[in-house]
Amino acid sequence: MQQKLDDATLDFLLARSGLSPTPQQKAELKAIYPHVAAMAERVRKPRGRMAEPVLTYGFNKEDLA
Amino acid sequence: MSDIPTIAAAAKLIAAKQLSPVELTKACIERAHALDGELHAFIRLTEDRALADARAAEAAIMAGKSPGPLCGIPIGLKDIVDTKGIPTTCHSKILQDNVPTSDAACAVKLADAGSVMMGKTATHEFADGGPSFDLPWPPARNPWNTAYFTAGSSSGTGAGVAAGLIMGGIGTDTGGSIRGPAALCGIAGIKPTYGLVSRAGVAPAAFSLDHIGPMAWTAEDCAIMLQALAGHDPADPASASQPIPNYTEKLGAGIKGMRIGVIHHFHETDHKVTPAVQRGIDAAIAIFRGLGAQIREVTLSPMVEWHACGTLISITERASAYDEWARTRLADFGERVQQRLLVGALVSGVDYVQAIRRRRELRAELKAAMADLDVVLTAGNPSEAPKIDDVPMWDVSQKPSFTMPFNVAGYPAMCVCSGFGDADLPVSIQIVGKPFQEATVLRIADAFEKATPFRDRRPAMSSALVPA
Repeated sequence: MQQKLDDATLDFLLARSGLSPTPQQKAELKAIYPHVAAMAERVRKPRGRMAEPVLTYGFNKEDLA
Repeated sequence: MSDIPTIAAAAKLIAAKQLSPVELTKACIERAHALDGELHAFIRLTEDRALADARAAEAAIMAGKSPGPLCGIPIGLKDIVDTKGIPTTCHSKILQDNVPTSDAACAVKLADAGSVMMGKTATHEFADGGPSFDLPWPPARNPWNTAYFTAGSSSGTGAGVAAGLIMGGIGTDTGGSIRGPAALCGIAGIKPTYGLVSRAGVAPAAFSLDHIGPMAWTAEDCAIMLQALAGHDPADPASASQPIPNYTEKLGAGIKGMRIGVIHHFHETDHKVTPAVQRGIDAAIAIFRGLGAQIREVTLSPMVEWHACGTLISITERASAYDEWARTRLADFGERVQQRLLVGALVSGVDYVQAIRRRRELRAELKAAMADLDVVLTAGNPSEAPKIDDVPMWDVSQKPSFTMPFNVAGYPAMCVCSGFGDADLPVSIQIVGKPFQEATVLRIADAFEKATPFRDRRPAMSSALVPA
């Protein structure tokens, strides 16, 4: 995964999210991005296509009524 | 009153008509008036409501009604818990005029148990971020030394319980927000199993990591509160349908033969704790062994794996929950929450699903590791409280959290005071149980508290108010 975030990519991601940060906040985001990228890399394991996520909700009585 | 009683002690006195709920409530209100100008535990002290609740409790008792253990007990509700007709601000400018039209499920349950609602306690903004000085209300401060941080986000409940302004309160915990303030304020706090306590009417932080739970001076008091709070609620889509045991029944029955795993690598190598925290863990191991428990070593994935998984989920779910306001009212949030919402733009959909796939693997790992154990033990927090002005803006760039692993897993986890360290500030241990085995966690925590002297001491600012 890319460890640095260039201005154009950051602008695209923020525009896509509809967010309008200040220049200082954009600089903070660029500084923090390597930590986010490292976490994303860490959860990306060679687990294959069949490994499912945890499902948050079960089927309680009222779901089956 | 010669002392600040525990809930358990006060309940016995109230039931015997030796302690008036009204007098107890007035004493807490007096302490709040004396101390909260410095502590900021409350966003809103609801004196009239508290006195009305106390009078109702007292009238019921005098009419011959048998009181439950929370009848007439002053409690606080974190200000992300909806309260009908009482502002619920989430400690934010965004909701400073928000007055809910109904009570959260946990507020209803505590009211039904006869407790006295003292007020709404401080939080980090929307239970996120950290201590902020750019919000409509100041952050809560640590009653052991008000220059220091309470941890959060259930900061006001932690400070209020430790200082004796309330005897218990509601906290919420997405990555450690019950256990962190319990650890740094020297009290007890339990994050129950995911789904045990209804989240209905409580502002979300991250839906799949959010837990509601009690904070109080002792494990026994947490057990009393949890008894009132636990149970299925169709209004919470994640609410579990599990039978609710008696959480106080086995307290004091000893822990002989219990199997306790110690996750040494968490606090000794993954995130090395301060000497005082380590001393607390070592003492706990010795005490548990002395009480007849079996101690074993447990190895899990490194903390950084749990931290990455939980943090990615947390960032994404928060950004989703507050997406509309982030797009339309970003500048109305405090700076810390603005940054945390913005970072959601940096996490892709694939990243999020990979994180929740990773969660399944980590949860399976914990389940296997605990197959032959009753609980596991590690630190609650890596150190004593930092100064409130020294809390960093970002948690993603910090060393991994001791509490987040058990939000990722959804397992019950509790922090209790294990001594005092630098600047005479409290430290804690964390006890983690299997799903829906809160009774076991509470039993072990209670045994630890009763074998140690740490419940005999209150913050100096609070003790000074108690007549000799």
